[in-house]
Amino acid sequence: MEIAVDNIDSIAVAAVPVDELDASNAGEFKRDIAPVLQANTRLVLDLSRLRFVDSSGLGAMLSCLRQLSAKSGDLKLCGMSKQVRALFELVRMHRIFDIYGTKEEAVHAFDH
Amino acid sequence: MLSTTESAENIQKPATADLVSTIQESVRLHARYSLGKAWSDLSSRELFNAVALSVRDRLVERMLEIEERYRRDVPKRINYLSIEFLIGQSLGNHLHNLGIRDLYRQALSTFGADLEAVEECEEDAALGNGGLGRLAACFLDSFATLGIPACGYGINYEYGLFKQEINNGYQKEKPENWLAQGTPWEIPRPDEACLVPVYGRIEHGVDRKGGYNPMWMDWRVLIGIPHDMLISGYGGRTVSLLRLYAARSSRDFDIRIFNDGDYFKAVKQKIASETISKVLYPSDALVQGRELRLVQEYFLVACAVRDIVRRFEQHHDRFRDFPAKVALQLNDTHPALAVAELMRILVDEKDLEWEEAWTITQATLGYTNHTLAPEALEKWPVSLFESVLPRHLQIIYEINRRFLDRVSVAHPGDVERIRRMSIIEESTPNQVRMANLAMVGSHSINGVSRIHTELIKTSLAPDFFQLYPERFNNKTNGITPRRWLLKANPGLANLISSTIGEGWLTDLYRLRELESHAANAGFQAEFQRVKRSNKEKLARIVQDTAQVKVDPDSLFDIQVKRIHAYKRQLLNVMHIIDEYLSLVEDGRQPAVPRTYIFAGKAPPGYWLAKQIIKLIHNVGRVINNDLRASHWIKVAFIPDYRVSLAEKIIPAADLSEQISTAGTEASGTGNMKLALNGALTIGTLDGANIEILEEVGEENMFIFGLKAAEVRTMREQKSYRPWEDYARNPHVKRVVDSFSSNLFCPHEPDLFTWIFASVLDANDAHFHLTDFTPYVEAQEKAGETFRDRGRWIRMAILNVARMGKFSSDRTVAEYAREIWGVKGSTLLD
Repeated sequence: MEIAVDNIDSIAVAAVPVDELDASNAGEFKRDIAPVLQANTRLVLDLSRLRFVDSSGLGAMLSCLRQLSAKSGDLKLCGMSKQVRALFELVRMHRIFDIYGTKEEAVHAFDH
Repeated sequence: MLSTTESAENIQKPATADLVSTIQESVRLHARYSLGKAWSDLSSRELFNAVALSVRDRLVERMLEIEERYRRDVPKRINYLSIEFLIGQSLGNHLHNLGIRDLYRQALSTFGADLEAVEECEEDAALGNGGLGRLAACFLDSFATLGIPACGYGINYEYGLFKQEINNGYQKEKPENWLAQGTPWEIPRPDEACLVPVYGRIEHGVDRKGGYNPMWMDWRVLIGIPHDMLISGYGGRTVSLLRLYAARSSRDFDIRIFNDGDYFKAVKQKIASETISKVLYPSDALVQGRELRLVQEYFLVACAVRDIVRRFEQHHDRFRDFPAKVALQLNDTHPALAVAELMRILVDEKDLEWEEAWTITQATLGYTNHTLAPEALEKWPVSLFESVLPRHLQIIYEINRRFLDRVSVAHPGDVERIRRMSIIEESTPNQVRMANLAMVGSHSINGVSRIHTELIKTSLAPDFFQLYPERFNNKTNGITPRRWLLKANPGLANLISSTIGEGWLTDLYRLRELESHAANAGFQAEFQRVKRSNKEKLARIVQDTAQVKVDPDSLFDIQVKRIHAYKRQLLNVMHIIDEYLSLVEDGRQPAVPRTYIFAGKAPPGYWLAKQIIKLIHNVGRVINNDLRASHWIKVAFIPDYRVSLAEKIIPAADLSEQISTAGTEASGTGNMKLALNGALTIGTLDGANIEILEEVGEENMFIFGLKAAEVRTMREQKSYRPWEDYARNPHVKRVVDSFSSNLFCPHEPDLFTWIFASVLDANDAHFHLTDFTPYVEAQEKAGETFRDRGRWIRMAILNVARMGKFSSDRTVAEYAREIWGVKGSTLLD
């Protein structure tokens, strides 16, 4: 999948380019986000397009967080729909990710 | 408030023509635009659908008005969680409750259609096995009638309870796909779907603040789609909601796999997910340990609790207010996972501290127990539980740890007590005890009849009663008089209304006013005419379905209920055999000619119950074909017992068989339905029989047999000596010997030898031979009494008059006042 990466105030902002992130495409996502993770330590994942995520999709995001944490970086999430947010809460993942409403808020959070 | 034929017609006369015309127009529009059918092409079933949709319009109007009122007033809401709702047919019930039955009758007659025939086109919604599910359905009617803001939560099973067919006396089960032709009553709400994760594992990690954070990983997700059924209350002022969830896959199917050419693989995941709501489990031991059943139970709980929390959050932002605005009643242990699920939501999702979440959970939940048999209490192997619900198991462990700490403080060093009370049973394998979870997590624990509640306190859960005496209370079951008298028995309902008015429909105690008419010859004659007419109708059904010709003037002796050892259909058959052999071998004629009618389903995996069905058929075949007995005794088994059939059988009963082993039937509600319809009860002092006895008087019932305490003593002291009864009493011997003599199985030798062995076994849990002689004596007394027709009818009228206590309105009003702390708009004082 083609992941578009913006740079806002020297923070990489990658948009998840699918409506559903699940077992059928989580592997592909992990593969295609890998260069972004290599090139950056501070990353915002914009989930605005995402309507559904399953445990594989959440696992892929957790893997991103862990890779960045391993090199003292950080990952923040933004643009979650209510349904996606509900799933994060259901499995307590909202407690380990920094989650923001907009990408501007997420980027700004890196400065504070 | 219009219900009975005469009053509805009289009062509505001025506007009747307009109303009938409006109904006709509505039915025509639904036929054309909802069903897409030209009027001339409409089948009977489609006409039913069009009529039902036009009735549903009225219910929807009421629902929208009421939802608006609830949005404004934000009352406390009652949520009734039940794995079963045995609804039956709905059309007739709605027409009665809304007071529009005669208008619809007129509207349909101008189409050349008969209302009763249209009503008969409706499939029963058989989303339950028996009493527990039917109780839930009666409660929904009472919620709406009493104006209590309430919602029932259940599963939208595609296949309800199996259809029973009889082949050579053997039960055969056929799938009952009640949704095959769709149902006009359900409103799907895909926009309110909820996601339900299951399976997976816990990954132990830390959150952003460094605290312990168990994450639920590798789960599979189900989607619950709510389907709403609207339940009318009598008078039509309020409707209750029954929200049934259907399981759907998270995706229709994987288009990528499909494009690769493997269609079947693509739909496999979809099919597996949808299996969750595919079928209602029959009530038998096979349910225990079934993984799909555990997933079903969690699916119901997860969907319901999520929906309840969502509704609460629409109007409130502080969860400490939750118990003041929400009550959640668990109909038996099947939804007991609600304890862990509500805790999970409050702690994991809403970030509440454990103690606060626990206080809220306990104050919100109430648990109704329905069984006294320890072996019937639900348990799940820990390993299975962990694989299906890993996070919930963690939460249950923590609940248990804190609970057992408290028990240890109250009873230091009492290791055995701790072992008994633990939510986790130490066995091989370890098991999660759902009743213990429900009792620990609820502020109220109730039984369903007074004796049942006492037995819970003294036998089933004495440790819990000692720890939490304030939680235990009794709520004797009840039945809705709208379905079980107004709809089922219009002849009697009309007679009652024309005699004492219609107040009994919402205040069943008003039936007491009939007492002064019990000895009135004119009233007795009318009462007898109604009963005779009901018996004639049932005689035709018996002829059509069981191919047995029966005499409506004979005593209709009826036992209709699930087939189960503890309900002792076998004892009934033993009496029939005794009566038959006394007639043909001793020349002793019974007091009156009798027709013994049975109906009921045996759980598919329950061999003994299926054998009893076979026995009833074989005994019937021998007796019904013996010319010496043909005037005196007939035996018939009506196949496929269900709510709509019960509505035809019960009004025709003279004698109601309620003969369970004392201490085994939690309450029973068939006993109430039959007595309310003017049957006299022959029964043991078990379940609600005891309270029926208190109401109707010992002189108006035929009570016999061991009491619960005596049964318990005999069990403890192992003092049952069936061989002594066998040796002492030639009647006992002759009946028992008949099981080993092939008298009733000439073509299948030794088929019933097991019964010979079973009733002579000192371990017979149901003490057939001890209760046999008192039962025969009580039956003789019943027969003698029936010969005096005037006396019998007077007793039957007094039974009807004194059944006021057994309205589900009374039961629900007690739950509302004493457990939920709510008032309905028309709640009884």
